[in-house]
Amino acid sequence: MSLVQTQNLTKIYGKGETAVTALNRINVQVAAAEFVAIMGPSGCGKSTLLYLIGGLDRPTDGRVIIDGQALEGLADQGLTELRRRKIGFVFQFFNLIPVLTAVENAALPLTLDGVPIKEARIRATEWLQRVGLGDRLRSRPDQLSGGQQQRVAIARALVAEPALVLADEPTGNLDTRASDEVAGLLRQVANTWGRAVVMVTHDPRIAAYADRIIFLKDGTMVDESRLTPATAETTAMWPGR
Amino acid sequence: MIIQMAFRYLTGRKLRTVLTTLAVVFGVLIVFGMNILIPSLLQAFQANVLAASGLVDITVTSVTGEAFPAELVNQVSGIDGISAWAPSLDREINLPADFYDGNSAVADRISAIALVGIDPQAAPTVRVYHIHSGRFLEAGDTSAAVISQSMADALGVQPGQSFALPTINGVVHLQVAGILPLQPRLLPGNEEVLVTLPQAQQMTGLQGKINIIDLNMSTTDEARRRSIQQAVEGAVGPQYHVGVLPAGSDVLASVKLAQAAFTMLGFLALFMGGFIIFNTFRTIVAERRHDIGMLRAVGASRRTIVALILVEGLLQGVIGTVLGLLLGYLLGAGVLQLVGPTMTQFVHVQVGGPLVSPGLLLTTILLGVGVTVLSGLIPAVQASRVTPLEALRPPVAEIEYGWKSRAGFIAGMVLIALALLAIISQQLSLVLLGGLCLLVGLVLVAPALVWPLSSIFSRLITLLYARDGVAQLAEGNLTRQPTRSAITASATMIGLALIVAGGAMIASLLGTVTDITRKSLGSDYVFVPPSIGLWASDIGSAPEFADHLRAVEGVADVSTLRFASTQVKGQPISLLGIDPVTFPRVSGLQFQQGDEFAYRALAQERALIVNGAFLAATGSKMGDTVALATPDGARTYRIAAVGADILNVKVTTAYVSQANLKADFGKQEDVFIQLNLRPGADSPAAEQKIRALTAGYPQFKLIAGRTYIQDLLQQTTAAFVGLFIMLIFLALPSLIAMLNTLAIGVIERTREIGMLRAVGATRRQISRLVVAEALLLAALGTAFGLLAGLYLGYVMVSGLGTIFPMAYSFPVAGMLAAIAVGLIFGVLAAIIPARQAARLEVVQALRYE
Repeated sequence: MSLVQTQNLTKIYGKGETAVTALNRINVQVAAAEFVAIMGPSGCGKSTLLYLIGGLDRPTDGRVIIDGQALEGLADQGLTELRRRKIGFVFQFFNLIPVLTAVENAALPLTLDGVPIKEARIRATEWLQRVGLGDRLRSRPDQLSGGQQQRVAIARALVAEPALVLADEPTGNLDTRASDEVAGLLRQVANTWGRAVVMVTHDPRIAAYADRIIFLKDGTMVDESRLTPATAETTAMWPGR
Repeated sequence: MIIQMAFRYLTGRKLRTVLTTLAVVFGVLIVFGMNILIPSLLQAFQANVLAASGLVDITVTSVTGEAFPAELVNQVSGIDGISAWAPSLDREINLPADFYDGNSAVADRISAIALVGIDPQAAPTVRVYHIHSGRFLEAGDTSAAVISQSMADALGVQPGQSFALPTINGVVHLQVAGILPLQPRLLPGNEEVLVTLPQAQQMTGLQGKINIIDLNMSTTDEARRRSIQQAVEGAVGPQYHVGVLPAGSDVLASVKLAQAAFTMLGFLALFMGGFIIFNTFRTIVAERRHDIGMLRAVGASRRTIVALILVEGLLQGVIGTVLGLLLGYLLGAGVLQLVGPTMTQFVHVQVGGPLVSPGLLLTTILLGVGVTVLSGLIPAVQASRVTPLEALRPPVAEIEYGWKSRAGFIAGMVLIALALLAIISQQLSLVLLGGLCLLVGLVLVAPALVWPLSSIFSRLITLLYARDGVAQLAEGNLTRQPTRSAITASATMIGLALIVAGGAMIASLLGTVTDITRKSLGSDYVFVPPSIGLWASDIGSAPEFADHLRAVEGVADVSTLRFASTQVKGQPISLLGIDPVTFPRVSGLQFQQGDEFAYRALAQERALIVNGAFLAATGSKMGDTVALATPDGARTYRIAAVGADILNVKVTTAYVSQANLKADFGKQEDVFIQLNLRPGADSPAAEQKIRALTAGYPQFKLIAGRTYIQDLLQQTTAAFVGLFIMLIFLALPSLIAMLNTLAIGVIERTREIGMLRAVGATRRQISRLVVAEALLLAALGTAFGLLAGLYLGYVMVSGLGTIFPMAYSFPVAGMLAAIAVGLIFGVLAAIIPARQAARLEVVQALRYE
């Protein structure tokens, strides 16, 4: 069974003559531990799709089902709990809290969920060690490089052991080397740690790290291609596979 | 273009613009409102005095304000150049509230009269009297009076009918001889009653005495007039004042003091406003680095950037000032409406509308707009230093790690140390200066204290309120901008310090006042005149009344106060005559220096017991001999002790024996009486007789002593509570400051809030985050406020102590009030920003730049 399923997912912004259809009847399925990239030109609806799957926004029509649970039936509180326990987010601008240390930032979803601070820190430390930041636990965001900050964000996304990680242009603000590190890490999230990853990107080289690429254009799905190791190797380095 | 941009920026952030402008509005409101209010009160007092002086060329009065022998007229009437002269005996008589209508709940339309005894032949030569019905007074008239039309209307009398007036010998009925038209110089409610000079002398017990000589000169040449005035001065000697009536009274002085205090409070309010505006503009600049960089990139000069920010300040300053002026006017007019009737009833002063002088208007506008623009200046200059490169960097909220200005911290610590040294020195002037040092010092060290203090308070909040890491985040949010938090806390500090200091003063005053009240008004019965403390305008009773009281069976002691005004070293002094034997038995003074033996000195020699205000006003000390101005020249008195009673604490007062008062001032009118019954006396029977006797002297209200103490303490407490509420009102800008800072924080951290929501924070948690932040901010401000307030309170108590010595009481109530106000303000300030933050849509917040 799919972990993520969208049925005729539609999002229209505005009303009447100014209405803009951001997504038009999108049907997507993501299996557990699958790494899916969503690609397309600017304004094609990539981020909108990601936000709808993450329960950050509500669709105009259609539905999203995560792990068998339909999101349209959930109130704000229910959506918040779903995000807290089943979904992890990674953003383009990292969005770390500047006044908290790496370990405090990574522990945030747990402390917000009422996990005692001590335990939350232990779990956050484990994840930071896994993403290779075991020696930077006490560093504040401004003392970390862009790539390191994004790895803290990935640790934060994983700390609550979610089944799904949503990444919105996670390499958009990074140089090539850091981008590869982060994409490789996401590959590892799916392969090693068994989480489904849905990543929005407009960089084909980064998209090549995924198992499958969905192409959007003007709010509709125009193509879908499954990458084999062979095809992937022709487009990019694939260190995680 | 700049104005258009500034305007759009302002309207783009409506809440913040409103809050910042409110800060200006509030400061201007206080400065303007209080300054139009108090001059109209002052004018009312002055008008009362000036109303008596009329339009004559020269008036001769005793420097003491007391009556003098009528023969003095002969010394001035023969002076070359004096064309007309008229002696008179003017006496203001306050009337009890129920004198004419018999209802003490409603003040009579006539609350006071000016009894003027004139010489019917001489008076019309210096003033014009248009009698419009009946006739003018004639020599030899007895029990006849000329009254004004408004008084006739109020009493419903016509020529030939009579009306009653209290006198020292009981109530007298006067027949209306004639009626004067309404005179614009007279204040309504304060009516002139003209009688013949002998009649007035009889009614006031001042036989053969007058207190004013009006003189008119035969020339309009200035030089000649001056020489005539000098001739008059030479003829009457230094114990007389030649000129228009002096307008300086104790009341006037205390009203002026109040004005100075209010102006200071207004300045403090504007000062807090300045903090708020400074904070806002700093944030505006930080927030717009991107925009400013872009403007610089497309060719805007540094000057244009400065102008852009300053124009925003100017717009807000102008709008805030205009609104503040309007609200201030309403405040002034409203308070006058409210206090007008009370003032008429208790102080017998008619209050007009608010007075707006062009000077005040200009000053207030300059202050309001000036403070806003000045507060925007530093941020504007900082803005102009933003480089075009900033436009290219990703927008992030500005963060300060640690505090930047170590020099500021050190300077602040030095100032605080100086303030502490000043307290140890016990020197008043140093202590006052220390208060200022402490305030500035705290403002300077505040940024460095934000982190340690908020980390302590956040633990407290975690324990009490938010266990899910929210308090920790809130602490982080505050400490990321220590300067901003510190400035906000400083604004809160000033507001709350006022509450604590006010509390200290009130607690100390109340404690001391209660002590003195119980001591000085402990008698069984008190005979209270209409106006307490303003003895000159009360009509008392001849000594016979007290003698009659003494004769009542069951009465043990009767002690009276007699009044005369005098001067020492040019300072007006209220002189109270007591009987050194009975006074300590029935009442008593609270001694600050010396003791009860001083009463014996009063009986044996020309000795004084003076109050603290007397020492402060005349610069004398215990044991000194001072010259008292009397109608017959100066008399030397020795200061035997320092003490006060409750009725005269505020007024510069000296107590003498009634024998000396009679010998040197010719006064033996009792203006205040206290009476004790014998133990075991038949009190109902005695009270009945006392009441019957008092009925003939309606100027006195007979009250049982304990009831009177209760009433007085209740009134005092009510007045203090009013003062306290006003202080809380003055702390309002700190609410605006916190609200502003929190709102700015929410706007600035929109994306972070979006992220928190995305990773699973509930709306409740976000809202709690803002509330926790508000509580932390409030706790910081309150902590500073308590520190500063304790010091300021000490300063106030010791400052006031020079006039009215009192024991310093630790302001427990003030501190509790400040903590409560701080916390309530904190929660109130959080409401709007917390709702805003909780309502943010996640996706929009994440996309926010």
